[in-house]
Amino acid sequence: MFFSVHPNNFFHLEYTVVQSSLIVAFVLVFVLLVGLIVLASRRWRRLAESEPRVILTGGGTGGHVNPALAIAEGIKKRDPDTQFLYVGVRGKAEAVIVRRVGYPLVFVSSEGFPGLRPSFRTLRFLCRLSLGVVQSLFILFRFAPRWVVATGGYVSAPIIIATLILQALRLSPTKIFLHEQNSIPGQLNAFLGRWVDRVLLTFPQTLSFFKKNGVVVGYPIRGSIALKPREEAQKDLSFTLPPGRQVVFAFGGSQGARTINRALVDALRHLLPHRDRLFIVHGMGLNQAGGYDAAADTRARLEASFEPEERAMLDTFYYRQDYFHNIGNVYSISDLIVCRSGAGSLNEISQLGKPAILIPKANLPGDHQVMNARAMKHGGGAEILFEDTIVEQGEVLEKLEGGVLAEKILRLLNSPQRLNEMAALSGQFLRRHAVERILSELYQDDSYNNGTGYKSIPFKPLLTNHRLLLVLQRAHQADPMGYNPASAAGDEDDLTYYQHRAAGLLSHEPWQDRNLGVKLIGLTLYREKIPTLLHMLSDTTPTSWIKRCFGGDFKQVGFIRRNIVQALQILDQLDPEVERHLLRAMEDPYFEVRSQACIAAAHFGPQLVGKDNWLQAVIQRLKDSCFEVSVEAGKAVGEIGVDHRALDVLLQLKESHYWQVRDAALKGIKRLLERRVIAPSPELLKQIASFILTTTDFRPHFSIKETYQTLQKLCRERESENVVYAAPEILPETALRKRMS
Amino acid sequence: MIYEICNFLMQLSETFSFFRLVNYITFRAIMAALTAVIVLFLFSRYFILFVHRRCLLDQVRETGIDSAFDKRGTPTMGGVLIVGSVLCSMIIWGNWRNPFLLCSIAGMLWFGLIGFYDDMAKVRRKSGDSGMSEKCKLLLQGGFALLFAWICVGPYAPLGPELATKVYIPFYKHALVDFGPYLYGLFIFLFLIFVTNAVNITDGLDGLAITPTIFVVGVLGIFAYVEGNRIYSAYLYYPYLRNAGELAIFGAAFLGAGLGFLWYNAYPAQIFMGDTGSLAIGGTMAVISVLLKQEMLFPLLGGLFVSEALTSQIQDKIGVRWIGRRIFYRAPLHHNLQHKGMAETKVVIRLWIVSGILALISLATLKLR
Repeated sequence: MFFSVHPNNFFHLEYTVVQSSLIVAFVLVFVLLVGLIVLASRRWRRLAESEPRVILTGGGTGGHVNPALAIAEGIKKRDPDTQFLYVGVRGKAEAVIVRRVGYPLVFVSSEGFPGLRPSFRTLRFLCRLSLGVVQSLFILFRFAPRWVVATGGYVSAPIIIATLILQALRLSPTKIFLHEQNSIPGQLNAFLGRWVDRVLLTFPQTLSFFKKNGVVVGYPIRGSIALKPREEAQKDLSFTLPPGRQVVFAFGGSQGARTINRALVDALRHLLPHRDRLFIVHGMGLNQAGGYDAAADTRARLEASFEPEERAMLDTFYYRQDYFHNIGNVYSISDLIVCRSGAGSLNEISQLGKPAILIPKANLPGDHQVMNARAMKHGGGAEILFEDTIVEQGEVLEKLEGGVLAEKILRLLNSPQRLNEMAALSGQFLRRHAVERILSELYQDDSYNNGTGYKSIPFKPLLTNHRLLLVLQRAHQADPMGYNPASAAGDEDDLTYYQHRAAGLLSHEPWQDRNLGVKLIGLTLYREKIPTLLHMLSDTTPTSWIKRCFGGDFKQVGFIRRNIVQALQILDQLDPEVERHLLRAMEDPYFEVRSQACIAAAHFGPQLVGKDNWLQAVIQRLKDSCFEVSVEAGKAVGEIGVDHRALDVLLQLKESHYWQVRDAALKGIKRLLERRVIAPSPELLKQIASFILTTTDFRPHFSIKETYQTLQKLCRERESENVVYAAPEILPETALRKRMS
Repeated sequence: MIYEICNFLMQLSETFSFFRLVNYITFRAIMAALTAVIVLFLFSRYFILFVHRRCLLDQVRETGIDSAFDKRGTPTMGGVLIVGSVLCSMIIWGNWRNPFLLCSIAGMLWFGLIGFYDDMAKVRRKSGDSGMSEKCKLLLQGGFALLFAWICVGPYAPLGPELATKVYIPFYKHALVDFGPYLYGLFIFLFLIFVTNAVNITDGLDGLAITPTIFVVGVLGIFAYVEGNRIYSAYLYYPYLRNAGELAIFGAAFLGAGLGFLWYNAYPAQIFMGDTGSLAIGGTMAVISVLLKQEMLFPLLGGLFVSEALTSQIQDKIGVRWIGRRIFYRAPLHHNLQHKGMAETKVVIRLWIVSGILALISLATLKLR
């Protein structure tokens, strides 16, 4: 306490000398600070009005940096005196790209949003972000910008927050423009976007996230990325292009993509025979963080898969570099592009009108890369390859088979007509003149307000896994014989993606996810994954001991194994391997797996007829301790029995405790008769007469409800027929009398 | 009401001395039971019609059992009838100055109201699965349980301070252990919530919940009579609870209402009790058994309810959600029996028999100690 109050005399305050001087010092410092801030803010206003100054921010990947640079280019062209300052995060893409372009660059501290669950990373995120905001405050006061142009990513968060604070305190005249490249906004953009002055959007469908302050402008592309004649473009390259080659340019964005890099190296093996008519340009990416060094990994993979003399051959048709700063030239010389389907790459490809093979990154928020790729394919400008999720040496990886990629590349290159067609359609794909539109927003002068002239993207959201499961299950239930997942889920491409997404679930840690994945693989008819399913089915890794105490058994829990058997049945492909595993499932410790295996045996009956081991296995199951299993086994015996042995075992069930088992036995005998395995005879009649027919169950018959239901059905049917019924003629009494007379 | 009037008249003059009949608990209990039945019969037809016209019908629930399909469209909220007729009967025959009776009626009404809101929510959203949220329901139940636990162990304990926190177990003469107020309060809290939800889970087939309720309440009524009677309690070595006899009357009224309700609820049901009924019944049974110090007898007496709740919870929480397999074929117990191939009527009658046997065994604990 600085002072104490005497209870008797309220006005009698006691200060010590130190205390009072401290108070004075505090007040002085405070006044000084406020004065400084006010002065700085006045300077800011003055400067912002007189000189055009712009802070650019955003980054993490080239997809965020390039739009910022494109906007800067546009501003500079219109107002050459403009001063720029780029604010980024150390060690990210902007550090390399922006340095090269030559804008002054400063770094702040920031980090990606780790999610809402409190953890150590949340704390670190908050610390770094707050530090970044403080740094940004200093940067803002010193540079005094007129506009802040942010292109998203966590990199731009500190400066936006700092500007928002100053705006709220009315200390800053700056306006914030936030450009969102994706159709589903990133978390920080979605959060901060509601307070900034304008959100500039690439896709019209994103407007629903920013109803108040969003405008659709498109994706700004740098002037350097323009189509040049091949000869001209060739001059500026860091490599020499042998004449008469078809050029394929493969890259995974500025940071590189492991899937694409590895798949391309694998594909080289298949492309090697075509080396005298091909040239592959490979942008490996700048990434060095997160346990993946793009350049080093690619080199190691090359050395591992090619002998030294082969590598010499490679050099004649393969060139790799971590990042192409003059990417426009590389685009210009290439005939086909292989890349991710981020909004940036897609727009650049479309701007230059190049055909592409797109490899979308899966499981992003809202699946936006898949949606982009899908839209471009609908437009006709691209083809899609999906990456697969596999487990390699205990590590979950996305993978694309090199052979598949090579085959696709070769097939496209071999039909120039198709390439030309794709190129033409690719050029029409996205809206142009994004830079002009953005400048019109920045200067508020309607200098460019052309809202038409683009093809809007068909927007049908992809289904979530749970929703997909419901849709497919319903379709399968309605018509198991003519079941076609592609028409139920959308189209072939969507189905392919769903298949890959389902496969990705199989390597998740929670069993609920794996269970979902198993169901989806069955219902999407993803037959390539049957070996994985079989592996899971016979995987006897025990689960944790505490779960085993409560009745758990293996890591692939009972539900998963049951659903695998069910999926195998839906997949409807019985090869010796599947057969072997199904036979094993007949002896599974979990009863539902056994009963499902019996159902599968009945389903595959026609193919299993005459196989003695199957008949033996099913007969074994008739005596199962769980009646559910016996019931299904009884039906299965009817499907696969071939002689009197089957009849005999079924007849033995005549005194079974459960009526369902007896019922199943009779059903089995009926099937045997229908299949003409046994002949109807008085003897058989006598044998089945000894069945116990009393039962503890019956089906009630609510006559009034049934009548009501028939009526209901009748009404519904007639409703759709649109028949005109004559109204019964009811004449008023006077008319009636008149008619009588 | 009649109790008060008669006592008042007896004070006025000697001529009304024959009214001392109302001071006999057995007389009032029988009259309460009869009143409850009559009230229920008088109003049930109109009530069912009213419920049907207001479309307060049972909604479809995803149980995976075929017969559940036939049940939608049955009028629900029959609990209002039960609670109403018990209340009418107690207004006429009860002694409303008795703390035991007040506690039990408060419990019945509170839980009945929670159930009523839940039923209304289900009807309004047209889905049997999305009534009041689980959390909200538990919160409201917990609120009453907390209050009741405090009353039981606090300064206003109807049992008196020396008995309040002691626990009796069946087949043993003396108080086993003194839990102390906090532990015993917690125990009461959990017990109340468990029992109410157990009855709610049991109420899945026509007549399945109401008959065991009649047994349980009947036995508890007998216990109340014994413990509220100085001679019998001394003879059977029970603590003498001076006002507990009133609970015998309350139990009798409940029994009467239950019988009347079974008339309409027996298979195939014309009305369901809904959550209104099941929660009210659960709340009442839990409160009465705590007040009579028979909470440890309940797992035996209401063994059916307890096993229904346990199977359902074990299957759902441990089996399906956690270790990823079914532990029972189906849960709760009555669905398991149905799945094994028993018709609904058979399941219901067999479970009645089981609960009757359990009630008899529990009654035997009166003497076997």
